[in-house]
Amino acid sequence: MATTGTNHLQAKLVLLGDMGAGKSSLVLRFVKGQFFEYQESTIGAAFLTQTVAVNDATVKFEIWDTAGQERYHSLAPMYYRGAAAAIIVYDISNLDSFARAKKWVQELLQQGNANLVMALAGNKADLSSKRKVETEEGKAYADENQLFFMETSAKTAQNVNELFYEIARKLPKAQPAQQPAGMVLTDRPTGDRFAIKSTCCA
Amino acid sequence: MGKESNLKMELQGGSDDFKKAVSRRTKKPLSLSTASQPQPKEGVNVGAEKGNTKGTVAGSSSDAYEVVYVKDNVSVHPTQYASERISGRLRLIKQGSSLFMTWIPYNRARFTEENTEFATPSNGSMRTMAGKSLAGKPFDKADRNLYTIRAVSLSEMRSIRRHTPPLGWQYVIIVLTNGLAFPPLYFHNGGVREFLATLKEHALLVRSADDANVYLINDTQDPLQKSLTSLELTEVVPVSASATQKRKEESRPLIPDSEESGSGEAHPNQIGQTESPPRKPRDATHDFSINVLEKFSMVTKFARDTTAHLMGSLENLGAEQSHRTRYQKENFDLSMDTLPSNVEESLQGAPSTSIACDDSLQKHGGEGKFSDGLASTNVGTFELVDGAQVYSSSTSSLSFGVIDNSMPLPNDSPALVWGRARPPPLGSEEWATFLDADGRVVDFKALKKRIFYGGIEPSLRREVWKFLLEHYQFDSTYKERKGLTTQKKEAYITLKAQWQTISDDQAKRFAKFRERKSRVEKDVVRTDRSLPFYADDENPNITLLRDILITYSFYNFDLGYCQGMSDLLSPILYVMKDEAESFWCFAALMERLAPNFHRDQNGMHSQLQALLKLVQLLDTPLHDYFKQADCLNYFFCFRWILIQFKREFDYDNVMRLWEVLWTHHLSEHFHMYMCVAILKRYRRKIMDEQMEFDTLLKFINELSGHIDLESTLRDAEALCLFAGERGAACIPAGTPPAIATFENKGIELYQDSESTSY
Repeated sequence: MATTGTNHLQAKLVLLGDMGAGKSSLVLRFVKGQFFEYQESTIGAAFLTQTVAVNDATVKFEIWDTAGQERYHSLAPMYYRGAAAAIIVYDISNLDSFARAKKWVQELLQQGNANLVMALAGNKADLSSKRKVETEEGKAYADENQLFFMETSAKTAQNVNELFYEIARKLPKAQPAQQPAGMVLTDRPTGDRFAIKSTCCA
Repeated sequence: MGKESNLKMELQGGSDDFKKAVSRRTKKPLSLSTASQPQPKEGVNVGAEKGNTKGTVAGSSSDAYEVVYVKDNVSVHPTQYASERISGRLRLIKQGSSLFMTWIPYNRARFTEENTEFATPSNGSMRTMAGKSLAGKPFDKADRNLYTIRAVSLSEMRSIRRHTPPLGWQYVIIVLTNGLAFPPLYFHNGGVREFLATLKEHALLVRSADDANVYLINDTQDPLQKSLTSLELTEVVPVSASATQKRKEESRPLIPDSEESGSGEAHPNQIGQTESPPRKPRDATHDFSINVLEKFSMVTKFARDTTAHLMGSLENLGAEQSHRTRYQKENFDLSMDTLPSNVEESLQGAPSTSIACDDSLQKHGGEGKFSDGLASTNVGTFELVDGAQVYSSSTSSLSFGVIDNSMPLPNDSPALVWGRARPPPLGSEEWATFLDADGRVVDFKALKKRIFYGGIEPSLRREVWKFLLEHYQFDSTYKERKGLTTQKKEAYITLKAQWQTISDDQAKRFAKFRERKSRVEKDVVRTDRSLPFYADDENPNITLLRDILITYSFYNFDLGYCQGMSDLLSPILYVMKDEAESFWCFAALMERLAPNFHRDQNGMHSQLQALLKLVQLLDTPLHDYFKQADCLNYFFCFRWILIQFKREFDYDNVMRLWEVLWTHHLSEHFHMYMCVAILKRYRRKIMDEQMEFDTLLKFINELSGHIDLESTLRDAEALCLFAGERGAACIPAGTPPAIATFENKGIELYQDSESTSY
């Protein structure tokens, strides 16, 4: 949830997408300005934060970077529950990753969080010679589902900051904390609780 | 294949020569000549080996060891018959700031006769127990190895008596702090003086006032030691000893009774008394854990650093003072702050006496005393008087304390946190002593224990890992293993052909195959690329990773490929340097770890759940903290468990850790205690900073590369021993890496469903 303080917003953001699409690389580029050609796979999940200034407010992103393989799909809900924003990432040089991205979009739409700001990112835009997913395709799918769309390159930094800034701008400005007590995940095998608290910074 | 040759890359270097030198010797025709004959060849090898072992061997500085003394033709004379003399090599090895002695018999004479048992001699004299050998029958190899001295630490030695008979060879008898002694070591080539001189360089060695031929090791004769002695040892030792005795009789954990608890009546705040499980007085395991507790309470003398984080917070120390004072009257407490400041200074750098009163320890006796500030566990003394008998009638594995006067010198602290330094890694020569003439591992438990404490020399991993992973059976012979290797190589080739023969046309119609291949290919190119072994594009080792993983996904088609597997395979390939062998070792490892990758995550959940219970047992306040912070799913430890800490340590240490875990010594779930040990190490930071799930996950992920392995291993060991049965009870049967009996599980456990909808 995005919560507000005095001109200060705290927003949970989750990255989803096929393995190797570049989720971690996008985050690392955005948060640390780094890029590693051989960024190791994410095991479990990673958490990072980065604050951006938009107009007269600041937005602190609490970013959850998840493992891409579908095998770990059952863990995903605990990371996207309660998120204010989601970036669904695919690799423009990989058709399967685009198909996977569509599934994530559908899953998130079914979660029924109307306030969720969703972005579709066609990553690895630097690999235009190996392109398999045309820009128009991505754009069309995004429009269809009312997502915000951008082609990015974590490697060249193209559109990376823009992506996050655009999300920051789209976040509801004074969204009340809707579920202040935190979101409880109940569909896991052990049934134990997992909550992500939306801490208010006010 | 033919790719193996490509694997002969950066890694071997000098160690290859070493291996050759060793194998040359072990293959040498067996000789029945008397052991006392000088063997010129040995000398050559000594030189080569010595040169090799100088300096850093295992890669990281903490593993460095140095041979500071080598003497050949040092013999044991089991009987008066010259033909039965066992000749070997005596060495002093410096590991960190500690000195170890090894004596390893040459592996050359053939002995075939019946077993002959010898007791470990006491009081420095040999005693023949079974007496079967008195007829002059030679010993078999196992008997020879009975005498092998594997890395005994100087801190375990009490004294050395030198004998200079008018005729014959000089010999020494080494008496250990536990009262046992090694058989006389005869120096056929001389060198006793040099031996003693070398010892003197590294330890406090003084002639006994009573007998000029007796050298006391680490005796407390110097002024500093003496002052410490007068403060602590003289009073404490007897008390501690009798207390230990008394508690043994009472068959319950050692916690010094405070005065108010009166005549041995259970104090509610003390460990394992009122709420410990029903006692089974004659239960050996229980007795064992009692002794562990005793040791645990005694370790503190040397373990301020470790204990402070391991045994819990220091928050209660202030409130504890009144209790401490009482303990002190009983001479149980010699904590730092009760010592005069000059002594405290003199102890600087030494592991010191203060122990954190452990709120988690209280848990065993009184529920949740975390906040009320009632101190419970004593600030133990340091003495381990009878404990040595429990552990070390063979080779003492874990002496938490050092016997009375053998207090370590101040600068010994890092290596002696638990009173015993880690022995050097298992080397080829010593490895040979574990094998009988046909190549069977005679005592696999001893082997596992040895590896648990010391690890394996890098050049030897290739062979020994196959045993630890149970690719090789311990009781297999050289011949059987050779056969197995050939057979498994063929089997691998067959498996690999299954997917390599898939044509492009077929692949078009085989989405599952394309998916798997593509997933593997995505991951292998980003696995350990900073390592020279996997660096550079077009690196053939990356291709090997790929081929092995794809082949595995056909071998175990139900499981397929999962992220994390490439991390598990990488060190195996690095060590094995052979495609087929790496495959089978990886497959063997996956027999243990496959449930980690099941789709329903139950393998992971059962481990995370067990971790919850262990933390609850071993650190209740931390558990309570996690509970109120809603972190009880322990997902922040997911990566640790899924890939066995592969991402948490540097490569050398990962290998070192894995071989420890794979021994299953102490517990097959030792990795769980590693988790607890790390969490305990950072418990204060976690709680002080009020970390919640997100910040906790970030913190844990960022610990990568910053965790000290050796001290964590020691902590985990202590926790494991301390937890004992109660710890084991936290971990349900079948929790990975327990090898589950094969059942045909539903395919939903395994299937990735990228190609279908979920």
